Amino acid sequence: MRGGDIIKRLKFNYDLTATYSEEISNHNFSALCVPQDTQRQKILELNISTDKDAVCQITNDSFLNKKLYGKIKAPHTSFGIHISGTADAGIDIFEEFTDYPFGAIIYKTQTELTRPGESLTRYHKHFTFEESDGVYNRALKIMRDIPNVFSYNSGSTHIHETSESAFTLGKGVCQDYAHIMLSLLRMEHIPARYVVGMMLGEGSSHAWVEALCSGYWYGFDPTNNKLVNDEYIRMSCGRDSSDCSVIKGSFYGGGVQNQSESVLVEEIDVKD
Amino acid sequence: MNDLIKNSETINRLLARYGVKFGIYKNGEFKEQLFPFDPIPRVIKKDEFSYLEKGLRQRVDALNCFLSDIYGKKQIVRDRIIPEEFIFSAKGFLAPCDGVSPPKNIYSHISGIDLVQSKDDNWYILEDNLRVPSGASYPLIARELQRRSAPDVFTDNSITDNRNYAELLKEVMDNVNTGGINVILSPGRYNAAFFEHSYLAEKTGAVLTTGKDMVCENDNLYYIDYNGKKQRVGAVYRRISDEYLDPMTFYEESVIGIPHIFEAYKKGNTAIINAPGNGVADDKGIYYFVPKMIKYYLGEDAVLMNAPTYLPYYEEDMKYVLSNFDNLVIKDVAEAGGYGVVFGSSLTSDKKSDFIEMLKSQPRRFIAQEIIDFYDLDILGENNVRVPRKADLRAFVLTGKTTKVWASGLTRFSRNPDSFIVNSSQGGGFKDTWVLSR
Repeated sequence: MRGGDIIKRLKFNYDLTATYSEEISNHNFSALCVPQDTQRQKILELNISTDKDAVCQITNDSFLNKKLYGKIKAPHTSFGIHISGTADAGIDIFEEFTDYPFGAIIYKTQTELTRPGESLTRYHKHFTFEESDGVYNRALKIMRDIPNVFSYNSGSTHIHETSESAFTLGKGVCQDYAHIMLSLLRMEHIPARYVVGMMLGEGSSHAWVEALCSGYWYGFDPTNNKLVNDEYIRMSCGRDSSDCSVIKGSFYGGGVQNQSESVLVEEIDVKD
Repeated sequence: MNDLIKNSETINRLLARYGVKFGIYKNGEFKEQLFPFDPIPRVIKKDEFSYLEKGLRQRVDALNCFLSDIYGKKQIVRDRIIPEEFIFSAKGFLAPCDGVSPPKNIYSHISGIDLVQSKDDNWYILEDNLRVPSGASYPLIARELQRRSAPDVFTDNSITDNRNYAELLKEVMDNVNTGGINVILSPGRYNAAFFEHSYLAEKTGAVLTTGKDMVCENDNLYYIDYNGKKQRVGAVYRRISDEYLDPMTFYEESVIGIPHIFEAYKKGNTAIINAPGNGVADDKGIYYFVPKMIKYYLGEDAVLMNAPTYLPYYEEDMKYVLSNFDNLVIKDVAEAGGYGVVFGSSLTSDKKSDFIEMLKSQPRRFIAQEIIDFYDLDILGENNVRVPRKADLRAFVLTGKTTKVWASGLTRFSRNPDSFIVNSSQGGGFKDTWVLSR
C-alpha cells in the first residue's frame, strides 16, 4: 500500500441550498454530491438529509457516481441537501483502472468544453517532453506549467466556459484549471477525467483532474499545483464539468434562483 | 390512374382538413405548411421489394447490433473497425446510456431508412434515421382517402395493403412492454408531426399524451388520466428527442420531458421507443461504416449499397475529395433535414476556398459523396401535365420479435425541378408508395 502512512481522517460537511424568489412546486431534482468508497478513500460514516420531505433515492449514474434524486410535491421557496460524515483519505495515491463501464477511450476524446482552439493548440506546442517522460511525468509537467500562464480569479468565467475561452482570458476558477489540463492531457492522448469533491480548508466544492497513467488514475490539482493527497474527498467524476453538475432541478414556477454551497472539511484525530 | 388524378384536388383539400401539415421553425418563427400530396404513386414491383426487404432487414439488424455493442462492450472499436473518434466525439453518443440495456435489447424499433434509385436502376442508401423517424402516417392517410375515392384501382392492380402499419407498430410496442399501457409521448400540438402522433395513437390504441400527464414514482412510470387516476406505463413511443426526454439526465431546461424517466428505463421498468442514444448510429460519419458493420456483426456482405462516400478524416479520401471537389456533395455530419449540404460545383471560388479551409481544419465534421443521378418520378404539374422530379423513398423498418419492412413507405419529391433536396422541411411533397403483390 503506497502512501499508507499519510492517511488522514477527515470530518466533512457539505450543504447545498437553493432559494427561489417565487414559490415552486412539482420539484424534481438530482444531485451528485455523495462521496463513496474508492481505493483512495473510505467513507466511515455518511449522513444524507434533504429539506421539505423530499422523497429520495440513490442510483449509480453511468460514471458510477452516486446520484441522489427525488421529488418534492409541496410548494416551497427553498431547498437544501446536507451531506456529512467522516472519511479516511489518502489510503492510496492512485486508483486502479477498471475497464468498466467505459474503457479508457471515452476519456481520451475532447468534449464540447475541452476541445482546444487556436490558443490552447499553440500552448500545447510549447511543451517539450523527453523521450523518457512517461505518461505520469508528462501530466506532471503540464500541471506544473499551467500556473505560469493562468491565474486564479473568480467571477471572470461562467459555468459553461470552454477551456479554450478561459485559457484565452488567462484567468478563472478551479473548473477552468481542470478543463485546461484535460484539454492538454487529451492532446497528449492521455485519458483524463474531471473530478469534483471537497478539500481540506476549502469552503466550497473543488474540481481537479485524474489522468490515467500505466493503468492507474492519478490525481492532479492544477488550481493548487499539487498532487491529490490525503486532503481530498471525491464526490463525482466524468468527462468534464457537465457530467458532474452538483445539482439539477426541474419545477413549476420559479423566478430568480440562487444557489449556495458551504463546505467544511476538518482533520480529526485517528483513535486506534 | 385517371381516377386517382381526377380526385387529387379533393384529396389535398381533405388532407388539409385532417391537419396533415408539416410545421417548421424558421428564423425563430413557427410556420405550418401543407405537405402537398401528388396522386401518381411510386410503384415497386414484388421482386424489387423482396430485394429491398432483404437489404433493409439486414441493415437494421446490424445497426441494432452496433448500438448494443457501443453501449456495451465496444468490441467494434477495440477491433479497430471504426475509429473511436467517430463514436465518442459524435453528438449522438450519450454517456448516460452506457451500460444500460433496453428491454429485449432492441435499440431501434422503428427505423426510417432513406433510399434513392439511380438512373441505372440501382438502389442506394442515403441515410439511416434511428432516432424519431417520422412520416409513416402520410402515405397511410393518403391511401385511405384514395381508396375511398377510387376503390377499384387498388383491387385491380394487386397493391399490397399498407393498413397493417398500425398493427406492426402495436406489435413492436407490445413486444418490449414491461407491464402496463402503451403511450405515445408528443411534445404537443405545435410539433411538426403532431398530426402523425395523434393518428398513430388512434390506430394503435395507445394513449396520446404529453410530459405533463406523466409522472415517475419509485422508478416506475405512470400516466395520469383526466380523473387523476394513475396507470402504469410499460412502453413509451416517444416523439421527442433524447435531449428533451429527461431534464434530470439530459437537457435540464426541457419542459416537455418527464423527470426521472431515465431511471425507470434503466431499471427495466419501462421501454422507451426508440431507445435513447441511437443518434450515435445514424450520424453521417458512422453511415460510412455501416457496410463494414454488416460484415462485422452478421458476417454478410451488404445487400444494399451506400452512396459512394469519402471520409476526409482518412488522408487518402481527403486527397480524392480535394481533387474532385466539384463533382461531390459535402455534408456536415452534425446537420439533418437537408441542412448543411453543399454541392461542390455550386460554390463561388471565394466560398470554395473558405470551405476547403474549414474541411482541412475539421475533417471529422464532413463526409463527401458522389452525386447520384436520381431516377426521376413523374409528378402532376400545372394543368395536370406530368413533369419529372427528384424523389427518394423512406422505408419503415420495424423491429419487434423479428425485423419487418412495411410494404409501403414515404416517397418524397422535390417540387423545384433543379433541386435534389426532398426533405419536407424544405418544402417538398409526397406520394403514396405501392408495393405490388404479384
